[in-house]
Amino acid sequence: MKTKKPFLNMDERNRQIAYQVIAIMYFITILSMQGVLLYRQFALGQSIHDFEDFAIILTINSLFLISALLYFGAIPIQRIKITNILLFYAAIIVLGSLFTYVKYNVFQHQGLSWEQLIDKFIIIVVISGLIVLFWVILSVLGKRKIDNELED
Amino acid sequence: MKLKLARVEKGLSQQQLAELVGATRQTLGLIEKGKYNPSLNLCIKIAKTLDKTLNDLFWEDDEN
Repeated sequence: MKTKKPFLNMDERNRQIAYQVIAIMYFITILSMQGVLLYRQFALGQSIHDFEDFAIILTINSLFLISALLYFGAIPIQRIKITNILLFYAAIIVLGSLFTYVKYNVFQHQGLSWEQLIDKFIIIVVISGLIVLFWVILSVLGKRKIDNELED
Repeated sequence: MKLKLARVEKGLSQQQLAELVGATRQTLGLIEKGKYNPSLNLCIKIAKTLDKTLNDLFWEDDEN
C-alpha cells in the first residue's frame, strides 16, 4: 500500500507551489529581458548586432511558450474561426509595422526610405504569416489530441 | 474535521498517513484544516487507506 517516494519527496501540493513560483519567475525574467532589450536598443542606442543572440533566444522562447500553451490546451479555443485568425494576423502585421517604423524612423536619426520600409513590411507579412500558420496548426493538433483522448 | 477523526480512529499519525498516501505531513495537515484542496487522486488514496468513502471524508452537509 505504501506509495513510491516521489522526486525530492515532493507531493502534489509542493509541485503545485513549485510550478506557480517557476511560472511567475519565468514571466518576470522574460519581461525583464525584454525590458533590457528595449533599453539597450532605444535608450542606449546599441545596435541590434550587439545583442542578436540574446534577442533570438528571447524571440524563440516567446514563440515556443505560446505554441506550447496552444498545443497543451492552456488557451481555451472552442472553435477555430478563419475571421479571428485573419484579424489576429492583421493585428500582428499592424503592430510589427508600427514597431519597425518607430524603431527606424523615430529612434534612429538616419531612418529608412520608403523602399526599405516596404522591404521590411514584406518580411513582417511573411514571417507573421508563418508564425500564425504554425500556431493554427498547433492549436488544431492540440485540440485533436484532446478530442482523441476524450473518445478513448 | 471528518478526516482527522477518521485518521485518529484508524490509529494513524499525520506523518504515518502522509507516508501511506505519498504526501507530506504538511499537506495532510492543511487538508485536515481545510486550507488545501487535494486532487481527486489523493482524496481516493486517503479514503482507501482509511477504509472510508469519499463522502465519509469530504462531503460537507449544507448546515456546515
